[in-house]
Amino acid sequence: MAYKHFEAIEKHAGLLGILIAIFVSIGGLAEITPLFMEAHAVKAPAGVEPYDPLRLIGRDVYVREGCYLCHSQMIRALRFETERYGHFSTAEESVYDRPFQWGSKRTGPDLARVGGKYSDQWQRLHLMNPRQVVAQSNMPGYPWLASRKLDATDIQARMRTLRRLGDPYSDTDIAGAPAAVAGKTEMDALIAYLQGLGIRNEPSPPTLPPDKTRQGGAP
Amino acid sequence: MSTFWSWWVMSLIVLNLGVTLFLFLWGPRAKIPTLPDGTSGHVWAHGTLREGVRRLPRWWLLLSASMFVAGFLYLALYPGFGNSKGALGWTSHAQLAQAVAANDVKLDALMQRFALYPVEQLAADPDAQQMGRTLFDDNCAACHGRNGKGNQLLGAPNLTDNDWLYGGDGKAITSSIHNGRNGVMPPWASLGENHVKNLAQYVLSLSASPHDATRAAAGKPLFATCAACHGADGKGNQALGAPNLTDHVWLYGGTVTDIETTIGGGRQGHMPTWSPRLSDGQIHVLAAYVYHLSHDNDASAQ
Repeated sequence: MAYKHFEAIEKHAGLLGILIAIFVSIGGLAEITPLFMEAHAVKAPAGVEPYDPLRLIGRDVYVREGCYLCHSQMIRALRFETERYGHFSTAEESVYDRPFQWGSKRTGPDLARVGGKYSDQWQRLHLMNPRQVVAQSNMPGYPWLASRKLDATDIQARMRTLRRLGDPYSDTDIAGAPAAVAGKTEMDALIAYLQGLGIRNEPSPPTLPPDKTRQGGAP
Repeated sequence: MSTFWSWWVMSLIVLNLGVTLFLFLWGPRAKIPTLPDGTSGHVWAHGTLREGVRRLPRWWLLLSASMFVAGFLYLALYPGFGNSKGALGWTSHAQLAQAVAANDVKLDALMQRFALYPVEQLAADPDAQQMGRTLFDDNCAACHGRNGKGNQLLGAPNLTDNDWLYGGDGKAITSSIHNGRNGVMPPWASLGENHVKNLAQYVLSLSASPHDATRAAAGKPLFATCAACHGADGKGNQALGAPNLTDHVWLYGGTVTDIETTIGGGRQGHMPTWSPRLSDGQIHVLAAYVYHLSHDNDASAQ
């Protein structure tokens, strides 16, 4: 290539801009596109089921109240995270989360595997006013959730939409939704959602080198 | 990653590094036509500004060259070039497994020593107390409080008073943590409001608390039903986790209203199972810490 070609590029700002844009996008094309395209091929592992109606509403309440602004649902593959929260999170666990709730902000603790860690009654007291159970907590209370009844027809519409997007809800599931949420409040739904987080879908423990068997526990 | 996307990534890397490397190598050697005065002939502002032609600075050349070296080394050592695993075979999961194994090696001696002692003896061990404290803060404090004094709203018992629902020896504490506990007191509102009030007064009389003697006398025959779990004398039953009603320790509060609520609505306190979440070794240490909380004086005397 001769100098005149580069001179042509340098002297035409529009051409220069286009070529810069193409070159800058290479990084994104290489790093983002494959993951984006292969995300559709991710299959739910054993134990990961579509949300039942009550938990599905609970998830929507979680999103609406902005819980993700302070709580992540993403345990990273780092020892100090797995010691505290359990097995690291995997992409497959989130196949039925639209959108996923991984989050990137931890004012409060990670919730990816909080299901079953506390009793339902603890969750209720904690959501009404966190200071009732954790004196030092700076989390706000959500007492209005306890007085808001669930709308059964709305949940059926949500389930049908999710089925269109590929979630395997059967007609029986959708028909049974109003009965499943009858008389429940948003508080019940959110607690059901929280109590189901990461329990049955925890992957088997990471494999260790065969010469180092794990003994005892760790603080 | 499928073969197609692997090739996609590799092609883009080759294109990107290829073009930039070519420019880097060619740039300093490019023959730039210059005018006799040493400028390129590009002028701005009617000739006031002219473009000089100079060599690229050495620092810039060295910096760019080191960037290329770093980039190629990274692609050779680590995953990045399509499906290549890199010469080091590094993965974040293997790194985690190594970190966990390295930590376990550090703790092995300690955990093996802890396993030699029963809970009651381990409770006096400062190392076990320190580890237990961390585990307690992270897992138990949400219900029992950081000081272990419990929470009457929740029915989470005080762990510092040496008064035990299910038994206070090391074995019972370990079992409570390992398997969790479920309260099973049924609601008695069906007896009618008056009977519930009478019963509440009788329950207060058991611990010689201030009470209405007339109502208490009326409630006494009804207590026969309660005696099935709490015992005829109201001293409770650790096999069922039925609290002793004759002491002044109240799981859900000891006011008249609290006791009436407890009798009318029943209580089904729930302590979660900790076994899969915590390892057996961790539960052993935690049990020792909990034992230590109500035997503080014994522990410090040793």
